[in-house]
Amino acid sequence: MNDRLMVRAFLRDLLERTGDRDGFADCDSLVMSGRLDSVDTLDLLVFLEEKYGVDFAERGFDRDDLDSLDSVMSLIGVARGTSR
Amino acid sequence: MRIVPQLDRQSRLIVLVQKPTGKIAISLAFAVLLLLNGESLYIELATIAAALSFFPRQRRIMLSGATLYWLLVHPNLIRRSLIHSVAAAEGFAEGWRLGLLTAATMCAVLGALGLLLGFVGKRPNHLVGKRPVLVMVVSFLCLLMAAGTLPLHGAPRIAAWMLLALAGPYLWFFAYALDDYASRAHDPYRLQIGTFFPFWVGSNSSSTPIGKGAAYLRKMEAHTPKDLAVAQLKAIKLLIWLLYLRLALTVFHAIVYGGVFPAAEAFFRARGFPLLNLGVPTLAAALDQTAAGHLPRLSVAWAAVVAHFIAALVGVPIAGNMVVACTRMAGFNILRNTYKPLYATTVAEFWNRFYFYFKELLVEFFFFPTYVRYFKRHRRLRLAAATFAAATLGNLVYHFCRDSEYVFEMGFWPALAGLQVYAFYALVLGGAIAVSQLRGKRAPETLPLYRRAMSSAGVIGFYCLLEIFDDEGRGHLLRTHLAFFVHLFALPL
Repeated sequence: MNDRLMVRAFLRDLLERTGDRDGFADCDSLVMSGRLDSVDTLDLLVFLEEKYGVDFAERGFDRDDLDSLDSVMSLIGVARGTSR
Repeated sequence: MRIVPQLDRQSRLIVLVQKPTGKIAISLAFAVLLLLNGESLYIELATIAAALSFFPRQRRIMLSGATLYWLLVHPNLIRRSLIHSVAAAEGFAEGWRLGLLTAATMCAVLGALGLLLGFVGKRPNHLVGKRPVLVMVVSFLCLLMAAGTLPLHGAPRIAAWMLLALAGPYLWFFAYALDDYASRAHDPYRLQIGTFFPFWVGSNSSSTPIGKGAAYLRKMEAHTPKDLAVAQLKAIKLLIWLLYLRLALTVFHAIVYGGVFPAAEAFFRARGFPLLNLGVPTLAAALDQTAAGHLPRLSVAWAAVVAHFIAALVGVPIAGNMVVACTRMAGFNILRNTYKPLYATTVAEFWNRFYFYFKELLVEFFFFPTYVRYFKRHRRLRLAAATFAAATLGNLVYHFCRDSEYVFEMGFWPALAGLQVYAFYALVLGGAIAVSQLRGKRAPETLPLYRRAMSSAGVIGFYCLLEIFDDEGRGHLLRTHLAFFVHLFALPL
């Protein structure tokens, strides 16, 4: 499974936890729109730290970076670029 | 059958509201509903919202203009009593000179913020650029401490307190602007101004930024005529719901406390039909009795606690969601401040549902900064520390900064010590939310109804009792609140 599919599956699980079974496009807002709450955001943050080594202490934490699948993927891209 | 019609899902209505006549009609409906909801500034609010709906491309810059107008004409948030008190104490005459000095200080505060924002944008690696909100809040607390402890007199004292009175209510509005400036794509200062206590607060004077800051508003802004129509219909729908809540609250007050309709009560009493009420004392009155050494009867004490909680459960959504409705009418489809709190099955979820924008403030400026920096190798400790940083420390910092009048009246250290009741509340709240988060997720949707109902009842019971300590004033000692609390369980303290 590639990264995008893996992150998408994780986001879908988070949404389904609260009964939200609507689909979402890659650019759809999930955090700011309220579909994911702060507890979900926290789980996403931990997932990105553990799975992709994103260091939010170093780069600063901005919830905008976790708002959509696209923004999460670009965050992962930047984190990988920095770590190389 | 729904008691509030689903206006935002009726396609013909959505089309109609996009037309000029529809815009005028919905603005009139908005004004009428504001009036019925007791908002005295309904004409100005509806007029500005209508203007914004006719010129959506200029919405953000017009919002800045409307915000400055509100500051000039309805400065609800400014602690004018504090300014007058310090002026009187220092023999500074009331009148135009004080007004001019206030205006000059306000310009200085907004100017200083502009410079700070510019600095944050240009020097992201400087300490101030990296942690702008921390620097601002600590600076404010230092100024508050200096004003409350140093023997200042005359002009320096007036200047210090005027600065605190004017900058204090804006603190968290500025925090969102600083946070936005620290991000890559931020709004310019002229648009940030529109987010500093925007016009949509109406006659509300809460220092919690409902609608957060520019970053959030950019996301929630209606970008098409259809989006705007839906947001405005949601505003109308919300106001109808608030009207029901307001009526329910009024009836509740009349039955439980009495004294709501003095003219009607006098009318019926004169004709030999007195309007009866349960005569339940307010929680404040019950605590006053406790402080005076006269504990209320057990049943009366319980009635006071439960009635206070029910009133808060209905009253808080009314106040917060009024602002949300006005924000939606202005074209920003923001989330509700309170959303079905009784559906919460965990303590953390209730906190999220009850006062969303206050929780968001604490999460944004206290929880996440702590979580991403400290105890990264200890998952549970990390979560607990971040939760306490938000629900306890952040909560206390917010209220201490907000209520600077107490420092002026009592001095810095007595005002700090006087926060003991609220400190206890924040500590218990932080502990309960931390435990709730560590225990795991909320009840899944698939859980049987009775299990969900039991979880909800436990959560509601917890918050109902915790309300006894939700007192930001300095009227009573913690001992009084504890005595009242243990009395509920027929225990001596």
